[in-house]
Amino acid sequence: MTDHGISSDLEFRKWILLQPEGKTLLRCYQCGRCTAACPIAMIDESFNPRLFLEKLILADESLAQERLIWTCLTCEQCEVRCPEHVKIPEILVLAKVRGLLSGNTPQTALDRARAILSEGRTILVSEPMHKTREKMGLPSLGPPPVAQLGKILKELGTVERVESVESRYGGAEGE
Amino acid sequence: MEVLRVSKSIEYTYFPGCTIPFRLPHFELTMREVLNRLNVELVTDEGHTCCPEPTTFPGVDIEAWFTIGARNIAVSEASSRDTVALCSGCFHTLSVVKHTLKTDSDIRERVNKRLKNAGMQATGEVTVKNILHVLHEDVGLDQIAKKITHPLKGLSIASHYGCHLVRPIEATYMDDAENPQWMEDLIRVVGAEPVEYKDKMACCGAPIGPSDESKSFKLTAQKLQKISDAGADAIVLICPTCYTQLEMQQRKAIEYLDTELNMPVLYLGEMLALAMGLTDLVVSNSRRYHRVKIEPLLEKIGVGE
Repeated sequence: MTDHGISSDLEFRKWILLQPEGKTLLRCYQCGRCTAACPIAMIDESFNPRLFLEKLILADESLAQERLIWTCLTCEQCEVRCPEHVKIPEILVLAKVRGLLSGNTPQTALDRARAILSEGRTILVSEPMHKTREKMGLPSLGPPPVAQLGKILKELGTVERVESVESRYGGAEGE
Repeated sequence: MEVLRVSKSIEYTYFPGCTIPFRLPHFELTMREVLNRLNVELVTDEGHTCCPEPTTFPGVDIEAWFTIGARNIAVSEASSRDTVALCSGCFHTLSVVKHTLKTDSDIRERVNKRLKNAGMQATGEVTVKNILHVLHEDVGLDQIAKKITHPLKGLSIASHYGCHLVRPIEATYMDDAENPQWMEDLIRVVGAEPVEYKDKMACCGAPIGPSDESKSFKLTAQKLQKISDAGADAIVLICPTCYTQLEMQQRKAIEYLDTELNMPVLYLGEMLALAMGLTDLVVSNSRRYHRVKIEPLLEKIGVGE
């Protein structure tokens, strides 16, 4: 379900401005070049980066609950064309992060994150994969130092948070 | 008097990532062989983990993305070598994290407090490179040209750079964000003809596969169509995610077009290997890792069976 009403949240906006490159949001004067450059906007008119930025400037948090936000390619074409060098993809990432706890995260994104946190890799590496490397004469790659990852991420609580979340993307499309 | 030159090999720390070493090892195999001929050696470091990948992980936990990325930077900084990532996703993460560590003291402090728990430190001073930096800038076109024994004459090749290799330009140190030329230079060096096509820097579509498959393939199909319309015999690329999308998933993407199309895709290492006469190396792995046959290309350059 998507909430189309405005839910003003100054705390969310403040958090955005504190993130790396977050302050670039304030340079946006709504010219719309980002939307004109966006390959997704070209095939889906409901995807509108200019409007997304407007919402964030107005401290409207509803964007974080919209599935649409996850169809940003992170291709950075918008940023390349932005006359004010607003870091648009990085700012949209912040809206995605904000939607995590309510489940607005694709299942694959959660699966990958869990694999990275538990195995140190995005994919589960099987014995045949190691064998193929050996046959090709490529150097063997041992298991990544996962325990160390746990140590440096402890304070953030990333592992527990990612484990606890359930994706709303599980079912059929367009639910 | 002739001066005897002993050419020393250049060593880089090789950041392996996940997809290339385990899903597409022929990327690493062909590039290592090519680099070997150019006196370049890749040294692995067991301390690296997943970069983490830049298309979905930041949207799950951006702070963890910076922290894990900074840990990988710290591992690289412990050696005096430059780091090279063959994968564009890894390269993007490492260069953006490195750039941010250097330019944003807030995040540098936050991240280093966490790294300290593992006795580590990251400054952002290490040099992170992609394979074009190594080939085009460090080795140089002249040196590569000397090793070309089987020029790919008669082949028209379209380059696909992909987004994460090139952008953001202040972190990637590439030549241009909208019209990069380094791959075109390499296509010329191997004796082929670079093909210009519409929207060269358009995304392959892969990053949104997890959230909207049909939009993802629509973009892939558009890209393949434009390349085909421009008369290319093949695509050459660097990124393993783009390869998966444009090559492994090509049949699925083509369903979004009205026309039939068959576009061979070569990894940059394969293109260079063919031009250096390493035909067997490429051919012996082509059935396993290519769904679109590359035989028509081999025939055209006269190395077909």
